[in-house]
Amino acid sequence: MVITALKMLLGDRTKYAGLLFGITFTSFLVTFAASYFGGMMTRSFALIAENPGVDVWVMDPAVVAVDRPINLPTSALNRVRSVEGVRSAVPLTIAQADARFANGRFQSLQIIGVDDATLIGAPVVLSAGKSVVKSEATATLLHSPDAVIVDAGGTSGKLQTPSLLADQWPYGKPHLDVPMRRLRAGDELLINDIRVRVAGTSATLPRFPPRPLLYTTYSTADHILLPERRRLTFVLAVAAPGVDPRSLASRIEAATDLRARAAEDFKADTVRWMLVNSEDVGDVVTMLSIAMIVGFGVTGVLMFMFTHENLKYYAVFNAMGAPTRMLLLMICAQAILCALIGAGLGLGVCAIAGRIFTLYDFPFRMMWFALAAGGVAVMLVSVGAALFSMRPILRMQPASFLAGR
Amino acid sequence: MNAAVETVQNSAINCRDVTKTYGEGNAAVQALRGVNLEVRAGELMMLVGPSGCGKTTLISVLAGLLERDAGECSVLGRDYRQMTVNEKTRFRGRNIGFVFQSFDLIPTLTAAENACIPLLIGGMKRKAALAKARDVLHKAAFDDRMMRALPAELSGGQQQRVAIARALVHNPKMIVCDEPTSALDSETGNKVMKLMREFALGHERVLVVVTHDARIFQFADRIAWMEDGRITKVDKPPTSGQPKVADSQQELLDHS
Repeated sequence: MVITALKMLLGDRTKYAGLLFGITFTSFLVTFAASYFGGMMTRSFALIAENPGVDVWVMDPAVVAVDRPINLPTSALNRVRSVEGVRSAVPLTIAQADARFANGRFQSLQIIGVDDATLIGAPVVLSAGKSVVKSEATATLLHSPDAVIVDAGGTSGKLQTPSLLADQWPYGKPHLDVPMRRLRAGDELLINDIRVRVAGTSATLPRFPPRPLLYTTYSTADHILLPERRRLTFVLAVAAPGVDPRSLASRIEAATDLRARAAEDFKADTVRWMLVNSEDVGDVVTMLSIAMIVGFGVTGVLMFMFTHENLKYYAVFNAMGAPTRMLLLMICAQAILCALIGAGLGLGVCAIAGRIFTLYDFPFRMMWFALAAGGVAVMLVSVGAALFSMRPILRMQPASFLAGR
Repeated sequence: MNAAVETVQNSAINCRDVTKTYGEGNAAVQALRGVNLEVRAGELMMLVGPSGCGKTTLISVLAGLLERDAGECSVLGRDYRQMTVNEKTRFRGRNIGFVFQSFDLIPTLTAAENACIPLLIGGMKRKAALAKARDVLHKAAFDDRMMRALPAELSGGQQQRVAIARALVHNPKMIVCDEPTSALDSETGNKVMKLMREFALGHERVLVVVTHDARIFQFADRIAWMEDGRITKVDKPPTSGQPKVADSQQELLDHS
């Protein structure tokens, strides 16, 4: 009878298409929203992810996410270095600053100052043709006086300078509505009235929230940023061979009274903080709710209509000896077929849409939980629709369909 | 007025003083007001009467689709009141075949698939069920092409033949037909009834046919006349040369 139920459904092409649309829509939208959310969350810990060689991040005890830094005393670096099991430890500073561009425009940037000696935390520099310049070259570039590397950090159109020399560093008013081009090596910026020279551009992991980045050495950062009593933001520790990062983090915490987190734990902390504090989470939840409501509305109503229109046949089956359980099984089979095909279509469309979105640098990452969310949403919508449409079967009186009543 | 029920041996249906009321209070409609009916095994009994006289209610009670309010009723030796809902459903599945006025074939299934539904309900494998349904349809003069046709591609008579095959395919002991010829022209109706007699009767099977189509009375073994929820008369069908229906009865039918 399951095949009979499926044939009944497949034969009613309009409602079948409607049911598939409802479930595909739900599957697509929920998976897409979850993937988009996954992309955003992944970008929230981009600074950690782009330093895979760092085992333990050491920070002020009040820091809960990579984007909420509180600076440490400089002595923290040596305290960490003195802990047994630390192979090396380097400083990293993070700060916000407004850069003045050549046409007079101001743009807020995140300044990332990396260790002068090792350049741990510095990006790989791109040439104009997007071919990667080797890391030695990065060192050469960053060790030049006042050199910085700029990175879009997931933004677009924020690192632009006038194309014409006549519009650069003009006297009088800013030249804002003039032809522009991307920053490139050799361009100059002013940060706190100190000139810096763009030594190269990079394409590191985009950030969430998006913001332009400016990489430089720790000493240059200290030079161009406004004076602060404390400059050091993180100490990046590498574990000695055979030392587990988590146990090293515990040891550093015990020895220094600072907060130390293994890289993977620090990523999780950052995501947790974003989940609790980011307003975007509410937007995603709203989007998921709308997807579920629309999906259930379309699917539930169409499934109910399909069952209702076929009620006389179910009554005939019941009269012929089909128990109610069998009729409900038929409804379930129809819902399962729609759920499987709809989920497949939804995930397929989502994957294609995600691929296109990724090409345009949108934060899309189809992780396991996105697929799970899509699957759960489809299951909820399908079960809801099936339950909704089982009602008429349970209330049906087979005798009422004799003589066409 | 209830007609006296002829007591016979070997009765398949035996109902006494059966009543059924729909609704309550002022809205109550008494559909059956003490029906007495006895149908023998191997007999084709027609229930005849005007619309609203209780024919469909009576076959619903006989088929176990409706609960009677009062009275005694034994169908194929069983009393539905002694059965649970599931037992009644299983009993119907094993013992009763249905032919409906509007055929009620599933529009998206082929003739053979429609005809095998009772076997599928009974748990038979699909392949075996289809093979058996094809056998029965073959006896009903269906060729392979027609067996693969959807109901919409068949004429009314062909559709009713599929419905009859569906009612017979699981070899039930009783077949209930609700206005089987009312949607058919006279010639097709006669053919369908002829098929029903040839096919369905025998093997101690009982046929209960609800109709007010006087053209098919000749196919009945006996006719039970109903009016206002009662069986007023049970008699033999008119033979050729006789007026087919008594004047009073014709008047009833004319008003139906």
